[in-house]
Amino acid sequence: MAEYWGIKVEDIFNTMQERFRPEGAQGVTASYGYDIAGEGKWKVTVYNGTLAAVERVDGITGCVATMSADGETFVGVNTGKVDATNAFMGGKVKVEGDMGAFGKTGRMFRKFVIAKKEMSTREYIEDMFGTIVSRFKPEEAEDVDASFAYDLGGPDGGTWTVSVKDKKCTIATTIEGNPTVTLEFNDAKDYVDFILGKIDAQTLLAAGKGSAKGDINLIQTKWPVMFEKYKDPMGGAVPEQELLVLKKIISVNQKYATGPVMGRFLKGLKDKKIYGNRCPKCGRIQLPPREMCAECRVRVSEFVEVGPKGEVRYMDVVYYALPDPLTGVARETPYGSIMILLDGCKGNETLPHFIRKDQIEKIEMGWNEKKGTRVRPVWEEKRAGDIWDIKYFEIDE
Amino acid sequence: MSKRIAVCAVAQVKNEPEYAHMRFQNMLLECFEPIMEQTGVTFDMERGIRNIITCSDDVFDARTISDNGVTDVVGAHFRGEEKMAQESINGLGYAMACILSGHDDVILFMGHCKESQGESRRMATNLACDPFYCRPVGMDFQNVDALQAREYMEKSGVTEEHLAKIVVRSRKNAKKNPYARENRQVDEKEVMNSPMYADPLRELHVYPVTDWAYGILLCCEERVKEFTKKPVWLTGYGSCMDRYFIGDRDLCSNFSLKQAAQRAYARAGIKDPRKDVQLFELSDHAAYQLPMWAEGVGIADEGKGGKWIDDGGMEKFNVNLSGGHLNGNPLLLGGAARAIECYYQLSGQAGDRQVKGVKRAVAQAATGGAGQHQAVIVMEA
Repeated sequence: MAEYWGIKVEDIFNTMQERFRPEGAQGVTASYGYDIAGEGKWKVTVYNGTLAAVERVDGITGCVATMSADGETFVGVNTGKVDATNAFMGGKVKVEGDMGAFGKTGRMFRKFVIAKKEMSTREYIEDMFGTIVSRFKPEEAEDVDASFAYDLGGPDGGTWTVSVKDKKCTIATTIEGNPTVTLEFNDAKDYVDFILGKIDAQTLLAAGKGSAKGDINLIQTKWPVMFEKYKDPMGGAVPEQELLVLKKIISVNQKYATGPVMGRFLKGLKDKKIYGNRCPKCGRIQLPPREMCAECRVRVSEFVEVGPKGEVRYMDVVYYALPDPLTGVARETPYGSIMILLDGCKGNETLPHFIRKDQIEKIEMGWNEKKGTRVRPVWEEKRAGDIWDIKYFEIDE
Repeated sequence: MSKRIAVCAVAQVKNEPEYAHMRFQNMLLECFEPIMEQTGVTFDMERGIRNIITCSDDVFDARTISDNGVTDVVGAHFRGEEKMAQESINGLGYAMACILSGHDDVILFMGHCKESQGESRRMATNLACDPFYCRPVGMDFQNVDALQAREYMEKSGVTEEHLAKIVVRSRKNAKKNPYARENRQVDEKEVMNSPMYADPLRELHVYPVTDWAYGILLCCEERVKEFTKKPVWLTGYGSCMDRYFIGDRDLCSNFSLKQAAQRAYARAGIKDPRKDVQLFELSDHAAYQLPMWAEGVGIADEGKGGKWIDDGGMEKFNVNLSGGHLNGNPLLLGGAARAIECYYQLSGQAGDRQVKGVKRAVAQAATGGAGQHQAVIVMEA
């Protein structure tokens, strides 16, 4: 099984029992399926608020919802390395079945905290020299022709030569010939502490625990420029803390009076008609109609039927959908957002809506000097008097 | 004498339980047009309205940046527009600042609130409380007001009978106010038997859900003749924000109102409000607040609210002849309603409720539970 950030997919499942939060599962009885590409399938069962079973299965049946993802995404989401919302919106995580029920699993388990073990001196030495070539910055090594020898004593020690020539860096585990500069440490552990910044070079040298020979100036001034600083994989080795997160949902139901102007527009949609209203002073059309012309500051009372066909003025293709605030469900992506100049309107009197999914590629934008693709509305069978009475626009052929 | 700011014109729709046939844009338009007609003001960038202040609330409107829903009907396109997202009375203070700074000569100030839109105003005011410590334990303005009411009534000798008297009087006064919400007239007994909301607050002790909108045109002293023959002057404004966390407050001290009143009085040169002011409009969201705010603005002795009512203080100082907030204004807009009533009285347009010889009036308003933030405006004929 592959590891991601040092974690296997099965580690996530094997720790579910200890990460289970009964307070997040109150009153829940359900099974959830997990289909992790190339890794296997699991079924997690919660019965009456307790975690009843976590099983590896051949096929997923009897689940209210099934999540599918690749191993890296799954481990990433569970460890906080990958943003769950982005993964979901970007299609890296898919959920089939009851989305709402699956959402509850987020509250049932504490986050998987990556356990950090201590690194030994030997592991540090291997990691420090093992990453030298990848930390080399060739653009900083112009005209450098030098070799840096390391002779580290003690049980974890060894010899290395780092050579830089022609903007290339190579490493060998021997010391040969006459290196440009040679660093000796009596104990490899001191070298590790020196690189990690726990002890400074002056102290080591003064204590007779190490020595430097050759072009010392070169290693002091050029090395830090040519190589990225070594990053401690332990990152200070403080165990990651689980932060308390308080989730709140704000919800106050509202009703909204439309008034005579907005009401007329919405009623029109029910009758498959699109109404704007025309300013008595400047003649511009506001679509949807509004009570007054914001530019002339006069009341607008003349309604005019526009469209229903028109041409596309602006368009974009949305890949990251926000959830529909009315339903909480994320739209399927990609979708095409368009601004349509309906027949009878001019200039910027455009109406925003969607374009039929399979026609996204065929739409051309227009502007005053260029005609955009002609489109027509596709009406809902049962219309309620809202903007969804138009399902979307499609090419008028 | 300090510079004065003129109120040139006001317009409003009637306070109603629900404007079912209008959205709030329609309500504002009903106020916008009369202001234009009364004053002949224009939107000329040199001589007209360059800046507009609106007052509305995101939660009550169920949309963020709620002013964006109304910029067209208040004429705000292509110029300054700033929203007062707090009690409307502070919009007057802000308008004064805009004009006194010399930045603007003329300010149009418009506000709206449809409390009828929301399922519950208590759910809306719950959101105003601290999300982690106060919302979960059921705090909303009504609940917090009741905490204050209990202590205040105990300390100031205000009884259930006093509250009933305030409610009956409010509805009676409101009958003379053509813009007031039309409420059923009640007697003391009915008030004292109305359902208990949060002890000691009963249903009839609390202002009813109301929809309303208004507009006010203000300008600098130098140009007042262009817009009106009968200006009313704003001569003092003061506000004070008390502690937000309810646990930090002495609910009964009137701390923030006393501070706000002192600041406004100092600016207007008022030494003794009992002698220097002839009319008071106080934002009594609930009946107990009328004597409490009367103590805060200095017309009732501290801790003597009950006796002040018995001694006829409400009539003596001409308090809430409009019916007050208690008869029904949207929570957010009580201050504008108070100031508009002062305008009518000071300009001699108060009809049946007109007090003769009013030279100076005070409007007060509160935001937050138990009068957390307080503001006071002094207006003069």
